[in-house]
Amino acid sequence: MMRRTAAAAVALLWSFGANVQELKAQELKAEVIHWWTSGGESAALKVIATEFTKAGGVWIDNAVAGGVNARAAAINRTIGGDPPTAMQFNTGKQFDELVEAGLLTDVEALATEGKWRSLIPEAIAKATTRDGKMYAVPINIHGQNWLFYNKAVLEKAGAAEPTNWTDVFVTLDKVKAAGLIPLAFSGTKTWERNLFNAVLAGKGGPEMFEGIYGKRDAALAASLEFKDVAETYAKLRGYVDVGSPGRNWNDATSLVIQGKAGMQVMGDWAKGEFVAAGQTAGKEYGCTVLSDKGGGYVMGGDVFAFPKLKDPARTKAQVLLAKIMLEPETQIAFAQKKGSIPVRLDLDTSSLDLCAQKAMKWLADKNQQIPAQELLSPPDLTGAVEDAISQYWNTPSMSADAFSAKVASILKASN
Amino acid sequence: MGSVAIEPQGRKPRHMTPARIGIYAFLVITALFFAVPLYVMIVTSLKTMDEIRLGQILSLPLHPSLDAWRKAWSSACTGLNCNGMQVGFLNSVKILIVSVPASILVGSVTGYALSFWRVRGATLLFGAMLVVAFIPYQLFIYPLVRVFSVIGINNSLIGIVVVHTIFGLPTMTLLFRNYFAALPTELFKAARVDGAGFLRVYWSIMMPMAMPILVVAMILQVTGIWNDFILGLVFAGRENLPMTVQLNNIVNTTQGERAYNVDMAATMLTALVPLIVYFGSGRWFVRGIAAGAVKG
Amino acid sequence: MPARLLRLPSRFVATLALAPAFAVMLVVYIGATGWTIWISLTNSRMLPGNVFVGLRQYESLFANERWQVSVHNLIIFGSLFVLASLALGFLLAVAIDQRVRGESLLRSLYLYPFSMSFVVTGLVWQWLLNPTLGIEKLVRGLGFEAFRFDWIVQQDMAVYTLVIAAVWHASGLAMAILLAGLRGIDEDIWKAARVDGLKTWRVYVSIIAPMLGASFATAAVLLSTAVVRLYDLVVAMTNGGPGLASEVPAKFVMDHLFERQNLGLATAAATTMLITVAAVAAPFLYWQSKRQRLLAR
Repeated sequence: MMRRTAAAAVALLWSFGANVQELKAQELKAEVIHWWTSGGESAALKVIATEFTKAGGVWIDNAVAGGVNARAAAINRTIGGDPPTAMQFNTGKQFDELVEAGLLTDVEALATEGKWRSLIPEAIAKATTRDGKMYAVPINIHGQNWLFYNKAVLEKAGAAEPTNWTDVFVTLDKVKAAGLIPLAFSGTKTWERNLFNAVLAGKGGPEMFEGIYGKRDAALAASLEFKDVAETYAKLRGYVDVGSPGRNWNDATSLVIQGKAGMQVMGDWAKGEFVAAGQTAGKEYGCTVLSDKGGGYVMGGDVFAFPKLKDPARTKAQVLLAKIMLEPETQIAFAQKKGSIPVRLDLDTSSLDLCAQKAMKWLADKNQQIPAQELLSPPDLTGAVEDAISQYWNTPSMSADAFSAKVASILKASN
Repeated sequence: MGSVAIEPQGRKPRHMTPARIGIYAFLVITALFFAVPLYVMIVTSLKTMDEIRLGQILSLPLHPSLDAWRKAWSSACTGLNCNGMQVGFLNSVKILIVSVPASILVGSVTGYALSFWRVRGATLLFGAMLVVAFIPYQLFIYPLVRVFSVIGINNSLIGIVVVHTIFGLPTMTLLFRNYFAALPTELFKAARVDGAGFLRVYWSIMMPMAMPILVVAMILQVTGIWNDFILGLVFAGRENLPMTVQLNNIVNTTQGERAYNVDMAATMLTALVPLIVYFGSGRWFVRGIAAGAVKG
Repeated sequence: MPARLLRLPSRFVATLALAPAFAVMLVVYIGATGWTIWISLTNSRMLPGNVFVGLRQYESLFANERWQVSVHNLIIFGSLFVLASLALGFLLAVAIDQRVRGESLLRSLYLYPFSMSFVVTGLVWQWLLNPTLGIEKLVRGLGFEAFRFDWIVQQDMAVYTLVIAAVWHASGLAMAILLAGLRGIDEDIWKAARVDGLKTWRVYVSIIAPMLGASFATAAVLLSTAVVRLYDLVVAMTNGGPGLASEVPAKFVMDHLFERQNLGLATAAATTMLITVAAVAAPFLYWQSKRQRLLAR
């Protein structure tokens, strides 16, 4: 009898203890919805997850490939009343309406405590702030207007590394003369727009870039300078190969990797393909940003937003997660695996690859920081411009005047 | 009604008449058209990424290996976890085993009721079903999420089964209604004269004769439900996520590196279940089941 | 079977059996469609809102060049795809019906495209039709230097590549439906035809095909729903390109629903599609109900 009571008591105490453990673990559970599913992206995410676990949290992974899918799933969950702990967005305007509907919780307290605004580029801080409060934690910066080139190909063609949108045509001509594909290109709407933005940022300059996408200045779109940009863009048509329409961006990078093409304009995520093929920045391939007006690194990236939760335990998990994301060690390790650069500009980046180090040097100068299109325009406007750019690229008979008029009318309609 | 005899039909085939050669030639040419993409998928899945990068999509692999297949099944990254597609396999099976019979049952009863019985509003109902079958179902996701959260079956197995039944209703009804409508009405009238009621005619007479269309219904539903991704993602709940979610995560990276060999292997692995169903369904694609029954 | 059910008049049981269908149709389909139409009259962006704006979304929809191209493409694609799939499906069904060897294997071969996700099969077709990777490269490599098959990169031919891949995907299903219909045909027909001394192909074309009316109708409707809902294939093969050359309405709806966060425009497009389908289906259904009433006499 005594033994049974004792046993029962022990069992009770033990289960109580176990419950406390469970409670403790339950306290810091974080369900995260994101779209990082490839090998490299997964390794980068693991950095954050490991730090979070070390600090006592429990990471519940909810990955959905395809940014659109992940965002749709997260948004549906949030408005359905069962929000995740954290959800991923691109730096920009994708979560505007969630803030307006009061569904997100702000991280302003953390931002003030960690002095984030003084550490990250102003444009990024602005992009995550609504009504003076920060509503999302930026985790990285992806450069969108890189030019990657195969060193051997350029050497063989006797061409130098291009520096701006004028001498790049010299290089392209030389590669063409050598019988190789000058510009490896992925002919889908997203990358047609990306190439255009690279020309706009480089040849048009930061002011024009922000004038068109940020201020939506229709008069600027009708200006001679803009038409000049459009004509430079159109000229590039002659340097892509016949198989470019519809091609995946990785297949285009592949052409550069194998030495079948000279260069590609792509975001820094392309480095993942070079790495997978065993190539190193600075050795087999080079990276640079073309610029006529003295600079301009187009910054995009990813952020995490935190829905308003009723459970105080899960809110604690959110705070912990947010803090960890901007810690120096996390930032560096993440950047190494992801191919992006840290969003904090005050770190020692000697462990990152050559291209990343170049980028950090540029970003030290405020004038080089160009916010990407997503930071300035709502998704709908970006889409309308994208349709126009794609049409222009694929219709050789369309003049720069017609294109510029089209963009001007789109901007006017959006105001 | 006696047992249904399966009699050979048509002329007894003579060896290799010109007509027969023509038929085989036609079959071979079309078989090529159908097989080439499969060939590309198989050889790509057996190559290494270095070889794939060379861009010779029709060439045989230099050193064929099943690494991509193993990776797709058990070690491909699908997010933070790198456990491949096996994770969701049982969930997909669970969802399939309940949803397919449920949707076929509801659809066949509805189709049957619409074909022989003169119910008020039948044509209107059928017409409405026909029209809504054309709407992209993604539009229904938001309203359904709201309705389900009120009922309380969001993020559950029941939820996803109900969703599949709902979305399968128009097609299944169409399939069965048209099939039954083409059967001779003497069959139906004879059974009614014998005193059979609604359910008896359905279960004992119509369904046995509907074997071929039942196979088609199964092909449609097994394929649709097994390959479904977005509905499972939204309605099934995290514990019941089907294999297609992992497939999507392997195949659909926006900015990550793409391992085409793993993608191909993963797609073919996912397709195995519907393929087995297609292959095994042959037994019921026999003739003469409806014929002869009238005479009995 | 519960005894009390047997005592209920059968017509009542029939109505009862249709009750779940009625309920689902009303609550889910009609309800959701009503919601869709309502949202198309608002200025909703990412989340549904209730600010009424009349027909403004429709105005911008019809003025939208991409929408116009999408509709035009769908008409071309739709007619070619349905006709080709029905024709090929019928020929395959007839060929297989000749008791050829390896019937099971052949049937599975024609059906397997239907079993696979478009995300990857679309990519494979993109590779096959890309002039630098696929068929053009192969044939040129065999010596025919002037051979061209680069439709997928040409603006005015890209739509036809969609037809090729879609027919590959769906004619197996058409074949299955027609084969099921074929096997439901009374063998007496065959006996009578043999007695009359008709050639086999004549029997198929003049006697059997008309008898397969219902199967053709089923297949045609199923294929047509696939046409209107065409999305995955376009995204995987051409992503609507080059430029806007292979854009389709369902992709317009999806892009504006999710990525571009414009619910108002997306639902306006969806409602337009719905009204078009209803307009086409209505006379057909009216004819159908008239026919049924005649037959019932």
